[in-house]
Amino acid sequence: MSAFVDGLAQFFVPTHLLAVVAIGLLAGQGALRFPITVFGAYTFGLSVGSIMIAAALRGQNTAPMLLGIAALSGIVIAAAWPIPYRAKEIAASALAGILAFNAPPQAIAIPSAVAEQVGVSVAALATFATIVFVAMRAARPWQRIGVRIIGSWIAASAILVLALWLTR
Amino acid sequence: MIVKSTLVRHHPGVMTMLLTRVAVAAMLPTMLLAAPALAHTGAGGAGGFVSGFTHPLFGPDHVVAMVAVGLWGALLGQPAIWLLPVVFPLVMAFGGVLGIVGVPIPSVETGIATSAIVLGIMVALAARVPLWTAVLLVGAFAIFHGYAHGRELPDGADAVAFATGFVIATGTLHLSGIAFGLLARWPAGRLAVRAAGAAIALIGALYLGGLV
Repeated sequence: MSAFVDGLAQFFVPTHLLAVVAIGLLAGQGALRFPITVFGAYTFGLSVGSIMIAAALRGQNTAPMLLGIAALSGIVIAAAWPIPYRAKEIAASALAGILAFNAPPQAIAIPSAVAEQVGVSVAALATFATIVFVAMRAARPWQRIGVRIIGSWIAASAILVLALWLTR
Repeated sequence: MIVKSTLVRHHPGVMTMLLTRVAVAAMLPTMLLAAPALAHTGAGGAGGFVSGFTHPLFGPDHVVAMVAVGLWGALLGQPAIWLLPVVFPLVMAFGGVLGIVGVPIPSVETGIATSAIVLGIMVALAARVPLWTAVLLVGAFAIFHGYAHGRELPDGADAVAFATGFVIATGTLHLSGIAFGLLARWPAGRLAVRAAGAAIALIGALYLGGLV
């Protein structure tokens, strides 16, 4: 149980949250019903990333990639560009896979490591689903504007940190 | 006392509540006197966010300029009311990148003070300019604000939380400007908004003159 909670905590860091909120808003923006295929792609990406980590592939610092996807998603959300569902699915699955790589389990024992990975996945899925749902429900004009404003905030934050990491 | 013990016997929840209160009372002084556990991994993110969020709030020239963006957007109406707060953070990020990379931009503080003066005057005059002019003007000033922030962005793991904090604070200042600016629907409110613009311009002039 403690390892599962550790996994949950490992997800809730600013970089992961920024990236998942961005992709969640992108998936939910303008959607009339829950984008099940994007959610499926996200789950698939998360599963593949977790399996690769479980197959003893070393976890990498993929935070710059997460921020890159967050920045691009933020710009698309702010501009309210109607991008095809296929692009959203690819972005969601790529981000989820990269996310799993950025949060490898810290425990040495296999059961604990698996519980930790499950914790990360549950937190990532729950957060994504919540954000998609919130973005979907933002149907009134001022709510849609709010989503776009949050998109611009996400893009700005991600671009600044990316620049910092690439230069220092 | 009899009443109390009867109450406890028949309602076990009351006993729990009493014990909880005693425990909290005992813990409170310890919690207040204890040093924060800075080594905890989660503390860095929260600390970074709070530092980032409060960072723009400690520069009055920055604060008034951000509020002026919101006020002007509200006075201009649709679509400027939402376009300016969307454009500003994106261009500010570009300015921030220039600051991080170290591209020399002269007189950044002058640019920030000037932004307060110009935007304040626009609000005070309730200037109605074409949308592209407003976006260009606000975008140009956003570069100065972003540059100043970019130079001060801390290195390390806290950078994401810090950047998110100060972008949200900047956006919140825009939104508060918009909220106040919506008073312009009424004649007295319009007067108040325009007076706020004049005050913002005055604060900018004080900063530019080095009087603050």
